[in-house]
Amino acid sequence: MNVASVKPTAPAAPRVTRRARVLALLVLALTVGCERDRLDWPARAPGERRGGVLRLAAPEDVPTLDPALGYDTRSWFFEQHLFETLVAYDERAVLVPGLAERWEVSPDARRYRFTLRRDLVFSDGTPLTATDVVGSLERVLDPRTRSQGAEYFRGIVGAEEFVRGEASHVVGLRAPDARAVDIELAASDPLFLHKLALLFAAVVPAERARRLGDDFTTQPLGSGPFVLREWRRGERIVLARNPRYRDPERPYLDGIVQQLGVNPELSWLMFESGELDVTGIPPADFPAVMRDPEQAALTIHATALETMFVGLNCEMPPLDDPRVRQALNYAVNKADVIALLNGRGVEARGIVPPNMPGYRVELAGYPFDREKARALLAEAGFAAGFATEIWTQGTDTDLKIAQKLQQDFAKVGVQLAIKSVAWASFLDAIRQPKTVPVLDLGWSADFPDPSNFLDVLFHSGGANNHAFYADPAVDRLLEEARTVLDETARFGLDAEAERLIVAAAPLIFLYHPITYVMHDRRVHGYAIHPFLPARVTDVWLDPE
Amino acid sequence: MRYLIGRLLWALVILVGTTAITFAIVFLVPGDPARVVAGPRADAATIASIRRELALDLPVHVQYGHYLARLAHGDLGRSYATRQPVGEILARRLPATALLAAAGLGIAVVLGLAGGLVTAPLAGTWVDRGALVLSLAFLSAPVFWLGMLALYYVGYRWRLLPLGGAGDIRHLVLPALVLGSGTGVYYARLLHTNLVSVLDADYIRAARARGAGRGRVLAVHALRNASLPLLTVIGLDFAALLNGVVLTETVFHWPGLGRLAFDAVLSLDVPVIMGTVLLSAVLVVASNLAVDLLYRVVDPRIRLG
Repeated sequence: MNVASVKPTAPAAPRVTRRARVLALLVLALTVGCERDRLDWPARAPGERRGGVLRLAAPEDVPTLDPALGYDTRSWFFEQHLFETLVAYDERAVLVPGLAERWEVSPDARRYRFTLRRDLVFSDGTPLTATDVVGSLERVLDPRTRSQGAEYFRGIVGAEEFVRGEASHVVGLRAPDARAVDIELAASDPLFLHKLALLFAAVVPAERARRLGDDFTTQPLGSGPFVLREWRRGERIVLARNPRYRDPERPYLDGIVQQLGVNPELSWLMFESGELDVTGIPPADFPAVMRDPEQAALTIHATALETMFVGLNCEMPPLDDPRVRQALNYAVNKADVIALLNGRGVEARGIVPPNMPGYRVELAGYPFDREKARALLAEAGFAAGFATEIWTQGTDTDLKIAQKLQQDFAKVGVQLAIKSVAWASFLDAIRQPKTVPVLDLGWSADFPDPSNFLDVLFHSGGANNHAFYADPAVDRLLEEARTVLDETARFGLDAEAERLIVAAAPLIFLYHPITYVMHDRRVHGYAIHPFLPARVTDVWLDPE
Repeated sequence: MRYLIGRLLWALVILVGTTAITFAIVFLVPGDPARVVAGPRADAATIASIRRELALDLPVHVQYGHYLARLAHGDLGRSYATRQPVGEILARRLPATALLAAAGLGIAVVLGLAGGLVTAPLAGTWVDRGALVLSLAFLSAPVFWLGMLALYYVGYRWRLLPLGGAGDIRHLVLPALVLGSGTGVYYARLLHTNLVSVLDADYIRAARARGAGRGRVLAVHALRNASLPLLTVIGLDFAALLNGVVLTETVFHWPGLGRLAFDAVLSLDVPVIMGTVLLSAVLVVASNLAVDLLYRVVDPRIRLG
């Protein structure tokens, strides 16, 4: 190498100073660039319930704030604080007036007349009228909205024509005056009020929503107890009290701040450092929390209206034999499965969760019985067992449960391979006939009615009949239940259908999860709802 | 100049090729975007209407043609999941990731230079061997483990820095350190090796003969030549860091691009996948070009073209 080719260097000292200056400028720019505006909240009056900010964290961003689009608990948590529906649920899941102060239903349950409360306004002060109610429902039905909730309102007279683009309005949806909404159904539907309580039916300023289109999710406007103050995607979301909310006493809180993208372990550390007011409890910390009486007293729990199950494809041999499916049900030690979850579950005896209206205690289900499982397999001609495959989405819990099933199945001679699949592929595969023999899934209630489990999961035409279960007798019972208005009679039909379903064992009924959360000492009135995300309208904080 | 134009044309070819390959891959993997958009509970009619609305019922090459046509007008489309324009989403996430990557790279370079310069003259001694063992241990530690460890001690036990998130510069320290230290250790080893081989060269002896001090020989004469391979690596690493911060971003809930891409892949959000891949490709191509140009500055003997 030629020494001369190395360029002579300038004197070192001045250069270093210049670099240092550049560096200092850079650091300054970064600091200024990073400095986020702080949130200011009103000072609290001493001794008052009112005031304070609830600090939360979640592992993922909020998918959407547009009530026509959200169909997950993350979106619903925020939507139910920003928007309201005509009818709503109280803390025990009983239907109560929402935006409508009263309603009349025709004897055949086909015609509904809702009367809105007086002087309703959106959070920007514009009046909320019956036209907005009609517009909001039409918006959900409009194919351009791509709402997953459209199917719930297709029973309204004229909805099909509207969806097909043959009519500019839904004939069965009318606003005779500013406070009256008339809805006419093509056939009587005992569940229609429940459907109107879904957040899909939340009332939005129809004209504004139409104008904003896909941008309504970032500029949501409703009449709920809170308004959106800030949403930094993937970072944090902030709600502030709606000063125009119809109940002047609520909410107590000035606001809600949720940090986004915080994994459960970090969330726990933040809670322990006093940076969060409410948190879930990671499995690793759960036993210690429950052993400490002081900490355990700050936890609350509730059994969810949810059932975790293993689907058995009734069209794929040898699972097409009910005896084989029953055998697999007997083979699983559900108490062990629940132990894997730190006991955060209730053994399932059927599909309908225990706190669901219409739940029947008499179902025996499939208590763990390995001998019976072997006998049934032998009877079906599989004394030597067989091999099959479980598809799972591969979260920690899913895998643990799949491995537990693998062990239990092996003890009755059934070889279970575990196939871990990403969500998108999983969703696609489970809908293809004769593709997925065994799958690991759960179902949670959209509204408190047994049909929300039975009709959806077991009707032969159901979109979510992942076990490909088909029994004409069950179909008949479920179809009849769809139109029976009397609740007792309807629950009777549902119970009979469930009895047949459990006997045929298209699923292994595993457990109903128990949700636990822990809150700070300062937090009062925080409650877990039976099937909706927590509502914090009644939550108040001790002053610091 | 001709060189530059040629390189830019090539870059364009690479970028279009990238979109074609990504588009093909997205449509080859099992899974139906319409079904994911529709959600687990949708009936067949809803899925069909969503497929129509998103034009997913058209043949793949037609869809790709539409995509390129929109791209030519600067339109990256809208996210299936959030319905937000992809351009806006990327613009919002890029600064956070760029900041983290730049800070991480800064730390890596400082660590690399310091480590290399300190250990090179000590080659073969026990200090050097100790450093090697430490470096290997550090390089083998997974990012999420280092991250959780840092959060637990620095953030939770000692309360010195915030427990993740983005905000002021205090939030940047831990993720940048975790991101940069592994790379820094690697740079230190790389520089160490290069310096050791350069220190025997004639021109170093010549410089010493001319009376240059030990420090000056090392920091000026040797470093200049030993840093060329490092420069290549750093240039490529900046692009890699921009694209590879997923784990760091996840551990520290840093609102950047990594998590965005990760979530988009899981939910088959085609426009966002395409957008992030395209952006990554642009960054890789641009930093490659920058490195080539920088070479010339550092070592004028290298002629471009």
